[in-house]
Amino acid sequence: MPILNGSSKTNVLILDDLPEMRSSLRTQLGSLGYTNVAVSGTVKDALEQFKQRGFDIILCDFYLAGGTDGQQFLEYLRTRKIISRSTLFIMVTAEKGYESVVTAAECLPDDYLLKPFTADTLKSRLERLIDKKRRLAKVDAMQDKGNWPAVIIACDEIIAAKDRYLVDAMRIKGNALILAGQTAEAVAFYEQMLAMRPMPWARLGLAKALHLRGDVDAGKEALQTLITESPKMMAAYDLLGKLHQESGNHDEALAVLDSACLISPNSLARHRAIASVAEETGDFSRVEAALTQVVKKTRNSPLRETRDFARLGNALTEMGEPSKAVQLLEEARTTFKEDANNPLLAAVEAVAQQKAGNPALAEQALQRAMQGEMTKLPPEVAMAVAKACLATGKQEEGEGILKNLVQSAPDATDLHGKISGVLRDNGLHERAEALVAESVREIIQLNNEAVRRARAGELSAAAEMLVDAANRLPGNVQIVTNASFALLFDVFTNGLDPTKIRLAQQFQQAAQAKNPAYPKLSEIADLMGRIRAKYSAGKA
Amino acid sequence: MDFADLAAFTIHDAKNRLALVATRAEANGDAETLRGILESAASLTRLLAYYKAEKGSLGADIDARVPADLVNELIVDLSKQTALNISADLSAAPTLWFYDEALVRMVLLNALYNALRFAEKNVRLKAVDRNHWLELIVSDDGPGFPPEMLGLAHDMQPVSREGTGIGLHLARQVAALHANAGRSGEIELSNDGGAVFCLRLPQ
Repeated sequence: MPILNGSSKTNVLILDDLPEMRSSLRTQLGSLGYTNVAVSGTVKDALEQFKQRGFDIILCDFYLAGGTDGQQFLEYLRTRKIISRSTLFIMVTAEKGYESVVTAAECLPDDYLLKPFTADTLKSRLERLIDKKRRLAKVDAMQDKGNWPAVIIACDEIIAAKDRYLVDAMRIKGNALILAGQTAEAVAFYEQMLAMRPMPWARLGLAKALHLRGDVDAGKEALQTLITESPKMMAAYDLLGKLHQESGNHDEALAVLDSACLISPNSLARHRAIASVAEETGDFSRVEAALTQVVKKTRNSPLRETRDFARLGNALTEMGEPSKAVQLLEEARTTFKEDANNPLLAAVEAVAQQKAGNPALAEQALQRAMQGEMTKLPPEVAMAVAKACLATGKQEEGEGILKNLVQSAPDATDLHGKISGVLRDNGLHERAEALVAESVREIIQLNNEAVRRARAGELSAAAEMLVDAANRLPGNVQIVTNASFALLFDVFTNGLDPTKIRLAQQFQQAAQAKNPAYPKLSEIADLMGRIRAKYSAGKA
Repeated sequence: MDFADLAAFTIHDAKNRLALVATRAEANGDAETLRGILESAASLTRLLAYYKAEKGSLGADIDARVPADLVNELIVDLSKQTALNISADLSAAPTLWFYDEALVRMVLLNALYNALRFAEKNVRLKAVDRNHWLELIVSDDGPGFPPEMLGLAHDMQPVSREGTGIGLHLARQVAALHANAGRSGEIELSNDGGAVFCLRLPQ
């Protein structure tokens, strides 16, 4: 539902740590007709309010007590999808200057209000923003759904109208082109934008698109220019750090992230990124330093992440301080009640307990880690669980998880190296050599066998094999798209079957989300079209 | 804590307090007090910006903006604070332009308060697209600028109609931060039946 202007039906939340400011803002809103106004003095209380109901408008002060700021609060709300794009988020600040210290475009507030402001300013600002939300309603709804082709179409309509929302629509379109996997179009689009006016977001978009196209050097160059022009654009450092990391320049990645930390020392994202790079190089004292900062800043905040505690615990164990790790992990497990069974936390604890000489406690932790479906875990977490299995002597379970990881990403040589490393670290030198090769061979054979059956006309059998494999290896885009294609080819040849089509579409969407540029996806789209043509022709 | 940090912190705190009393004055319909408060807050904003400019850390966050929104917002805001007649002229305003809204607002607000001080009856804010430049013009029907101030503002001019000259210096800096395709923004002062302050921003 669209937000109503100056209406008691509009739910407004004020978040400010100063009581006088809260009542002052509430007075101003009341004079504009907004009477349904909730106030919070802390992030914790605000999050409680979200459990009761949603809000249409959030007015949040940048400075908040308790170690968080409005930007962190907004990032938390957006990344966890507690608010949709239809919610208006307005950051209230006493001075300009925070705008640029922001990580990602999707975490930008809708507007900034500079204190002091009059009720009239607030009124016209709200009217303007509500009007904008209305104009972009379709675009926003499609973005929330992740339907990028539809976002592009909706943006094109606004771009063609050339009204005041022209550039807003262009910005969203560029991002949608990237997410829809239309990398070449995205590069051309951003280049055109930059020729019109060199705006920081367009240069960042160009760098992203170049990176996806595989033009790493051109991407790095665009980012260097961007950092010179807009030294406060944190997203540029983040991406440049990532590019350096991907091309194996860990030192350069760390240097870039360190310089970003100097500009924005309070940003948690940067410390986390530094920890990731240092984990790759095995520099665990660096990991420990970075994550200790994060944990210190968030320990008493509702915005804390269990993952930070787990990774810090792992670093401590790696540094030969398992009892320190145990202490930290036990604290996390007992205080974050909802995450007591978090598989990453439990897996890291299992290793720490084992190394600290508590095998019984290690066993308990491992059981907690292995409660859920292993194939559904993100690779990083699955790896930690495998490590915990190997550390506690459960070689078979550990190898099973590692094999699945290899088969989910048979081309990821980086990951394979890490898998071999884990086996070696646990004394399994022979398996370190053999496991990756065996697992890759098995998946190739499976694919070949499916192709052979399909050629032999056994379409259903081929599809069935691939569906089984896709369910076991949801991360393997090749298998998942092959399963989708095989199901559709079966339908195309042997007749309509709604169950098969639905399953094929699920696989297609999953693959699309993982890698929108994957070539097989366009073949699937073609085949869908042919199925539609074949079966609707009969009706007409 | 060094002086600069302390100053920034104090300014922040003072603006929070001013925000509270401003709401009270507005609710009571006390226009004069409201103007005094908002004018003081605006000068604190400029002081902080001036400090950043001196340090070389005043950056422009340039994005597509709607000049008409900015003009209307300023007019509505200021007409609450004065008995003079304030009007907007948007007849030749472009739909969109590229600038840092907070910085441009700061400059225009300064020019507008200046105009309010000298105007007889009328103050006008105009946005116009002239040969690929956006001109934001504040004019009044007062005695006009003294002759030594007229023309393109270059260096820090110690003379101003009132005050320290920080305002004009800062306006020039802000204009210069708006550069594109070899052209950069500028400030021009002239007299035409009163003072005319023009901020010119390239396309």
